Amino acid sequence: MSEVKKASEGGQPQFDILKHYTNLLLTDSEITMPVAAIESLVALVDACQATTVSEFISIIEGGSDTLKSSVSNAISLSAGCDLFMRYIIQTLGNVGDIASCRDYLRNNGRLFVQRAKDARRRIALLGVNFVRDGMTVLLHAFSRVVIALLLEAAERGVRFKAIVTESRPSGLGKRAARVLRDKGIPVSVVSDSATGYAMGKCDLVLVGAEGVVENGGIINALGTFQLAILARSAKKPFYVVAESHKFVRLFPLSQYDLPFDQDIITYFTDDEEAARVEKEKEEKKLKNIPEALARNDGGIGGDNLNRAWGERPLVDFTGPEFITALITENGVLTPGAVSEELIRIWH
Amino acid sequence: MVTQRAVPVGGPPSLDSFVKSITKIEASQVPGMVDHLISLLKRRQIRGSRNTAVATANLLMRVVSATKWSHVDAIISKIREIGRRLTRAQPRELAVGNIVRRVLGLIREEVENDSPPPSASLPAGTTLSLQSAHSTQGGVPAAPLGQPSTSMFSLLSQNPTPQKDKSSHSSKNIKAGIMEGIREILDELSTADDLIAASALEHIHSNEIILTMGYSVTVQRFLLRAAQKRSFTVIIAEGYPNDQDKVHQVLSGDPDSPGNSQIAEDSHLTFQQTLTRAGLIVILIPDSAVYAMMSRVNKVILGTHAVTANGGLVAAAGAAVISKAAKEHRTPVVVVAGAYKLSPVHPFDVEGISEHGDPGKAVRWEDADMVESCDVVNTLFDYVPPNMVDLYITNLGGHAPSYLYRIVADHYRPEDVSLDG
Repeated sequence: MSEVKKASEGGQPQFDILKHYTNLLLTDSEITMPVAAIESLVALVDACQATTVSEFISIIEGGSDTLKSSVSNAISLSAGCDLFMRYIIQTLGNVGDIASCRDYLRNNGRLFVQRAKDARRRIALLGVNFVRDGMTVLLHAFSRVVIALLLEAAERGVRFKAIVTESRPSGLGKRAARVLRDKGIPVSVVSDSATGYAMGKCDLVLVGAEGVVENGGIINALGTFQLAILARSAKKPFYVVAESHKFVRLFPLSQYDLPFDQDIITYFTDDEEAARVEKEKEEKKLKNIPEALARNDGGIGGDNLNRAWGERPLVDFTGPEFITALITENGVLTPGAVSEELIRIWH
Repeated sequence: MVTQRAVPVGGPPSLDSFVKSITKIEASQVPGMVDHLISLLKRRQIRGSRNTAVATANLLMRVVSATKWSHVDAIISKIREIGRRLTRAQPRELAVGNIVRRVLGLIREEVENDSPPPSASLPAGTTLSLQSAHSTQGGVPAAPLGQPSTSMFSLLSQNPTPQKDKSSHSSKNIKAGIMEGIREILDELSTADDLIAASALEHIHSNEIILTMGYSVTVQRFLLRAAQKRSFTVIIAEGYPNDQDKVHQVLSGDPDSPGNSQIAEDSHLTFQQTLTRAGLIVILIPDSAVYAMMSRVNKVILGTHAVTANGGLVAAAGAAVISKAAKEHRTPVVVVAGAYKLSPVHPFDVEGISEHGDPGKAVRWEDADMVESCDVVNTLFDYVPPNMVDLYITNLGGHAPSYLYRIVADHYRPEDVSLDG
């Protein structure tokens, strides 16, 4: 943040990237965090008056760091930021001169955001054939792109049912159920402990992803891992639906390798203390959401406020060995193809 | 035998007669030949991956040479339309669609090569300094920006400006290139088995016991090539009810015996020597004995009808049982298949892949009493999921199932994967 301030001291009104980002998330419930992050960075490029390359880079880096530190779990957000950073450096390498580089980025910023949004539509078209008449689909949490795929199938007259896990602690499964039921799709919401029970009734598991990591595994809402294991043991296909801007350069080998602390397992010897800590956590979460925003919700779900104010659903890591395939806008990829995509971008 | 029939009408048509007649017809008859191939495919008079691929490639070559176009989009949409009709006529012959997509890729490549190196990666209003920075990159303008479309960077790079000069490519210029490309595909079709066989010695070792099933030219060639240097045992499951006659003929050293059109069609491929004459120990078993034999088998080698984009197989019925038995015994399963069998299509509907053949092969019509009291089904294909296969050997080399997506990406353009619309 400080770097951004420094750069805009020369009489320019200061550009608050965090505000821009928050606004994007609040006004558009369909936008994802990485896209919002890149859109904010594009706006930052627009506003910045840097005259040297290193100043320019440090401003962008500062902006990207500000965004990353604003949320507790920045997997998908940092995927977007890093990708954009990489892109800027390559553009600078090709163009060499700061003014034309900025022009170039300005011209392409909107295009990028448009393409990222189109990605969801392309995935829906590519993946719609996986859902067939008479199938029961098992879903976890709330993924915009999974929903888009299912709505596309419903639009085409495919008759399918969906079982949605409640997905505690976020409870986002209910939100997914609401959206699907709105379109007349029969949905059953089951508690997370009923996942194993329900597995036998489904033909296909579809999940989204917070981030797709280098070995082809995914980081997604807590509970995805157990779902994947159950699917494997029941020999049900487990598909991940994710846009390729969610590919991140991480190589976790287990649950505990993720680059942030999740505070999921906490030990107590005292019942009352456990209850007290639990209550504190809840209060802290509520305090994080400014009152004004909560009041002017304007029909946007609580999830958006959460996204904007750093409360992210807890996540776990699902290894590539459990994933049948990843449905991305570039086609249906095996987990092995993810590393190749990433290598192509970064090397 | 079939040489006299040059005209598409009359007599039982085959691949040979189709290929012969297509070179002779005039340009005005080309649409008729498309219909002719469609009916041949529908009636299953041309069947099998290689035969349908050869027929399709020949047809498309004639279509390209006979069509006059002023704009490449015209020929592309024409071939897409033909491809759509052919694949609808026989959706289970995935090789037809593969060849159509390969030809479409060829045309697109030819157009791109023909056009001047695109400066499309940068916006139209590029400044002079930009241009000079570009030209210093040693002839690869904006390479990092113009990544292949599968890359995430395509999100960030500029849309290639629509090439208005597309129409200015005279069809003559690129036509020759396309024809040449299709000829290369035809070459590939005829040499694929040879190239696959070339790696046989790496996979078959002395005194090994190899299990295979039914009749596959690719597998036979593979085994024969290994037999030149190694001695090993081959266990052949006879592939009842569809393949056992061919298997018996091959084993009895009588590839020219009448009554089997498939062998006649493959006659230019049949081996002068048979497996038994090559000095191998050959054991013929009924399909039901596969599990019992599996414990002593070192390697399973299977041919296939088609390979789907995820690495799954559409193979002769029985392949799933064999690969399951192999899995149980941890026996490696090697699949030999020409790259033309590799399809960019996903097996969305596994049940729809299979086909019911002539039940008369399973139960003779003489058994009318039995047929009256029960249904007889002769399923032709099995779907084998990718986790059951350990290695694919194509004419491009050996690949793990998880790597096949890469070969798909190399062979087919993403925009051609779906021929609809």
